[in-house]
This record gives sequence, C-alpha cells and structure tokens, in this order.
Amino acid sequence: MTAYIDDPVFWALVAGLAATIALAVSSHRRTRRARQEKELLSERNDILEQRFAESVEEARTRAEHGTKTALKTAMRTLQGLANEQQIAISGLQRKYGDQHILQDLLDIDHMNSQFGRRAQSIAVLCEGWLGRHRSVASVYDVVRSAKGRVRHFTRVEIHSQTSFAVISQAVEPVALALAELLDNATSYSAPETTIDINIRAVPKGVCIVIDDAGVGMNEEEKTRAADLLTNPVSGVTGLGNPPQFGFAVMGVLAARYGFTVSVDTASPYGGVRAVVLLPQELLTSMPEPQPVGPAAVAQTAPAPAPLPGGAAPDPLAPSAAAHMPRAVPHSGPRPVPDPPGAGAAARYDVGQDAGYGAGYGEERREPRATTRGGLPKRRRRTPMSIVGQHGQDQDAAAPRSNEETASIMGAFQRGTRTGRTVETDPEGREFR
Amino acid sequence: MTMDGTGHESVDLVRPYVITNGQELPKGDEFELVTLVTAADGGARRAQLDPERRALVELCCGGYLSVAEIAGHIGLPIGVIRVLLSDLAGNGQIVTRNPVPTAQLTDIQVLQEVLDGLQTRFG
Repeated sequence: MTAYIDDPVFWALVAGLAATIALAVSSHRRTRRARQEKELLSERNDILEQRFAESVEEARTRAEHGTKTALKTAMRTLQGLANEQQIAISGLQRKYGDQHILQDLLDIDHMNSQFGRRAQSIAVLCEGWLGRHRSVASVYDVVRSAKGRVRHFTRVEIHSQTSFAVISQAVEPVALALAELLDNATSYSAPETTIDINIRAVPKGVCIVIDDAGVGMNEEEKTRAADLLTNPVSGVTGLGNPPQFGFAVMGVLAARYGFTVSVDTASPYGGVRAVVLLPQELLTSMPEPQPVGPAAVAQTAPAPAPLPGGAAPDPLAPSAAAHMPRAVPHSGPRPVPDPPGAGAAARYDVGQDAGYGAGYGEERREPRATTRGGLPKRRRRTPMSIVGQHGQDQDAAAPRSNEETASIMGAFQRGTRTGRTVETDPEGREFR
Repeated sequence: MTMDGTGHESVDLVRPYVITNGQELPKGDEFELVTLVTAADGGARRAQLDPERRALVELCCGGYLSVAEIAGHIGLPIGVIRVLLSDLAGNGQIVTRNPVPTAQLTDIQVLQEVLDGLQTRFG
C-alpha cells in the first residue's frame, strides 16, 4: 500500500475521485433544487391557469350579462312600441272598418304581430319582460293568437276546439312557444302544404299537436332540438350562425312555466310532429261567456266585472283598483253626483200626487251604493210612465202587475216582429 | 285597449286578420250597413264554428239585425264582420234581406203635367 504513496498516479486518482464525488454531490444538489423549482413553477402555473380561466369566465359572464341587459332593455322598448302600435292599429281598424283601407290595416296588424313576437323571443332569452298581462283565454284562442304571429298563418289549420282555458299567467308564454313551433313548421315545409293543429284533452292536461308536411329533421337536428328543449340555455350566445331562436326560446319558456314541448316524433305527413303538453296546473275551465247582443246592452254593469277564472289570481287587479280613485278627483268627501236619470225623475215629480213623489224622495235619501272606483251605481227604480199623470187617481199611478207588464212587452215584441217580417217589393211597397 | 266590458278580450288576443283567416274583404256591396241579417235553421252545425262566427249566428237568432248593429255588438270592424257574414251566407247559416229601398221620387215633369191638367180642368 505504502509503495503507492509516492506514486503520482495514485494521488492523481485520489484527487480525481474526490473531484468526481464533489461533482456528483453538487450535481445532485443542483438536480434537487431544479426539481423543487420545477414543482414550484408548475404549482404557480396551475394557479395562473386557474386564475386565467376564472378571469376569462368572469369576463364572459360580464359580457353576457352586459349583452343581456342591453338586449333586454332594447327589446322592452321595442315590445312596448309594438303593443302601442297594436292598440293604435286596433283603433284605426274600428274607425275605418267600413272602408277599403281596412285590408291594409289588417296587413299592417299582421306585420306588427310578427315584429312583436321577434322582440318577445329575444327578451325571453335575456330573461326579460314577456309582454302584457292577459286574462284567461281558451286553448283555442291561445292557438289562434300564436297562429297570427307567424308569416304564413293562412297555412295553419286548427281542427278542434276544447272547453279548456289557459290561466292568465301562461297565456302569453304558451302562445309564444306555439308561435315559434309554427314558425319552424311553416318555414321548413313547402308553401302549398298546410300545418294541422289538433287539440286533445289527455289525462295529464291538454295536448296541442302540430303536424307539418315538411322535410323533417335529421338525427343531429333532433338531438340538438331535444337538448335545447330539456336544458334551456340562457343568453343569446350559442344560438349558432345564423342564430336559431326557436327551440332555445321554447326550452326557456317550457322550463319557466312548466309545460313540455317535444319534437322527436315524425308526422304522418312526413314532416315533424310537435307536441305541446299543457299540464293541469296551467289549465282552468272557460269563464262564463258574457252575453253578446241586446241582452248585454240592457244589463247595467255597476260593479266591476268579476275576474274571469277565480282560480287564477289577477296580479293587475289590485293595482288597477288602487289607481282608480286617484283618477277621480276628490272622490272621498264630495257628494256623489246624481246620475243623469235622477234629474228627469225629479222633473216628473212635479205635479204628481204626493204619494208618488214621496216614493222617489224616500228612495233618493237612501245611501247610494258606489263602485270601487267611487262612481255611483245605477239603481232599479219604480216603473215610471212617460205620459203625464195629471188628474189621475192614485190607482193609475200604482205599479203594473207582472202579468200586465208581460202582456205589454209581448204586444211590443209582436209588433216589432211583424214589422220585421213584412215583405217588401223592390219599390218599397209592402205586401203580405 | 279599453274594451266596453262585453267580453271582447279575445279580440285583443286573437287579431281580426286571424278571425278572417286572411281572406280578402268582400268587394261587392252585398252587405251594406243597413242590410238585415238573420240566422238560418241548422243549429247543429253551429258547434263547429269558431267563437266569433258562432256568436254572430247566435246574435242573429232572435230576428233581423242590421250589419251595423252586428258590428257594434260583436266589437269587430265592419269589414271583418262582412267577411264573416259572406262566409256564413255561403254556408247557408244566415239569411240576408236587402234594406227597404227608399221610395223613388216621381218625375217632376209628370207632377207638372198633372198639375197643369188639374188646373185646366178645375182652375
């Protein structure tokens, strides 16, 4: 061993070994440090990536929210204008109902309805205002309302009516969803084909079945439609290019109001069969139809008409009632003015015998009933003869018996009927 | 829209062009304001009509009503009522009768001749 001590090679080897060891140790340390740094960096990277994703998401949400708010506000204005315009058009239709211009007014009305529907659809996607409050309407009327909102509405044929009605809150959403379905049906079918609507009562509610004879949908389209109908989207992004509103709008409305729309069956005519199922919760029975015609005119309407469909609370009613007294200045302490008829009655009192006059006086002292709005209610009065009662005894002034009244009315009716059935020749002369 | 409380809410919801189903307004003077209309027999078919047409036929059941009166009661523009009436008349569900024509004035010349004749005879 000692023999090597003087050998320079030995020392060189020892030095080399030491250097190698030192090198190895330092390299190991460096590697460890590098690994630690790498771990640290990757952690930081993860955090950064996460933060980046978060801020992207946030920016998107903010942008979405901004778009939604802007669109919602814009649509609200447009919807308001469309409604205002509809009221104006209705007024014009009544005013010029007898003239040729009516045809043009009807066309403008149709365009306005379509315009209003478009605005409504965008508003629905932006969680906006859906439209005016409606009262309870029959399913048939809701379907007809939807029909009026699409361009080629004359191709839509409604084949059945039901006695069911849609509750007030659901009238507008159901009509809008149906209009979107009808829009699809009319757009994707040949112009000469019809779109058939059948309304069926089923145990779960009412089904509205819409059949078109169009080209139908392929599997991909069906999947996309089903997806939009079951998982409603929010906002106007992701509607595709060109954007397709229809199913997205229906999906949002169906989820919000609790009805279902399905388009997965094929129509017997080759196109799409869309089925809208309105559950019992959205249905009510039809309000009693109000009499139309002379009977309605004869009836006095003192109290505000009962709200149709008691089951559905009318959110507008209380506010409307609250507004009404304000419209009538000093409605509280001011004495209620006599109705126009009372003045005439007072004039007839003059010169009549005391008993008759006293009867009126008594009646007028009674506190008058008023409507909720503070307007006087009309009251039933004792029968009054137009012919003066001068010089007649008290018996003559006594009210007629029921039989007498009936016979007088009968005679009057017979007279008018004969008058109406008398035949006339072209010269205006009568013959029987 | 302010309605007169006679239940015309559906007018607002269902627009008049839907009620006429986009039909052209009748061109002729078949239904003047004073043309009288009454319902024909055949109540069974009424059930298939839409609410406005049914209301119209039921309104006319009691006797003759003028077109203007019908429009007033139903609350639709007169042109729209005319479309409904021409539909219903086509189906034979209503009967119309022309208004009583105004008496035609006698020719002034004839009157003058009669006057002259009377004057020559008695004057």
